[in-house]
Amino acid sequence: MTAAVEQRRGGGGYLDRPSPSSLADVVEMILDKGLVIDIYVRVSLVGIELITIDARIVIASVDTYLRFAEATNRLDLYEHGGKSIDELGKSASQGVASGKTKSALSGAKEKVSELIHGSDDDEEDEDEDYDEDEYEDEEEEEEEPVSARRSSNGSRSRKAGRR
Amino acid sequence: MTATVQTGCYVFGIVPAGTPVPATDGTGPAAGLRLVAAGDLAALVGTVPTDRPLGRAADLRAHDRVLAAVVAAGTAVLPMRFGAVVSSEDAVVTELLTPHRAEFGEALDALRGRVQYAVKVRYDQDEVLRGLLATDPEIRRLRGRGDDPGAQLQLGERVVRALEQLRPGDASEVLTELMGTVDVRVREVSAPDEVLNAAFLVERDRAAEFEQRAEQLAARHAGRLRIALVGPSAAYDFVGGD
Repeated sequence: MTAAVEQRRGGGGYLDRPSPSSLADVVEMILDKGLVIDIYVRVSLVGIELITIDARIVIASVDTYLRFAEATNRLDLYEHGGKSIDELGKSASQGVASGKTKSALSGAKEKVSELIHGSDDDEEDEDEDYDEDEYEDEEEEEEEPVSARRSSNGSRSRKAGRR
Repeated sequence: MTATVQTGCYVFGIVPAGTPVPATDGTGPAAGLRLVAAGDLAALVGTVPTDRPLGRAADLRAHDRVLAAVVAAGTAVLPMRFGAVVSSEDAVVTELLTPHRAEFGEALDALRGRVQYAVKVRYDQDEVLRGLLATDPEIRRLRGRGDDPGAQLQLGERVVRALEQLRPGDASEVLTELMGTVDVRVREVSAPDEVLNAAFLVERDRAAEFEQRAEQLAARHAGRLRIALVGPSAAYDFVGGD
């Protein structure tokens, strides 16, 4: 049901294809990826001040914990066919089973675990991220400069006059 | 009244010389979208005033819109990161294009006929939390003790840790199902209930097939995972290191 609501355009309807892309998706690409000109141009770089949001959340933070605690608390256990908590306990093994069909080639699997493993390593140093909701809010007021904001540990602030 | 306004050369990206300037709805802060060519390469640039900061939502969107238009026209492009401003067209030629000609040429060749898609996978939050409640007695015990801030923190931390345990298995499953593209970059996960965020470099003539695979993937995991597809876009994740 939730998945059907996510449908935004054409096709079979389960895949969410936001069009236009959300501002958070755009920001993720154009602020974090792409060719960095500083590497190539040194002398004539113009140091325009970049005011961009750094509305990242810290994954392992009190705020995050409380957010997920709240989501767990308000979860309506009876929404799905009125199962009680005890019943949920019994159906535990089905509940979170993740490995369904494993049909992939083993070569692909190795490659995949490599990729995933790599990302796990990064995770430990890079524990911030954008809060999408905040981006969407800002988007309503395009005339206002998007305000600079610091994340709780402030290590990735992008408000920088460069030269 | 106003004397001369200081301007700079905003660089959107690098394309093969002779690429048509894309028609777009708006170029944001950059006026006069044009090509500055040197040899077989060109920079797609616009003029920006240097006396005001860049970074409004409209600025950000314009950057992506211009590059998306180039991609839509079927051209290879090396997308710059947002905010690349050089003092003059002259500097674009002498400092950017000419000295890095071989490097940029090679990078463009590698992207020719290819586009980027990002696949973003999250857990259906209610569904995954229901699963955790079912499997973890401690989470069941801590749930509903909203009056005890200590218990709330414990609950949230336990949930977040449990999601971290769950993630690798689901991430590799999804990734495995999407393998077979030209290249993949797994981006860092940014929220506890995010499963996978990865960019795929895909041949243009197999783009429809990739979209279809993503659609099938989403259908297969419906109810448990929510899958979004962003693209086709410029290959932001596949230029330069980072």
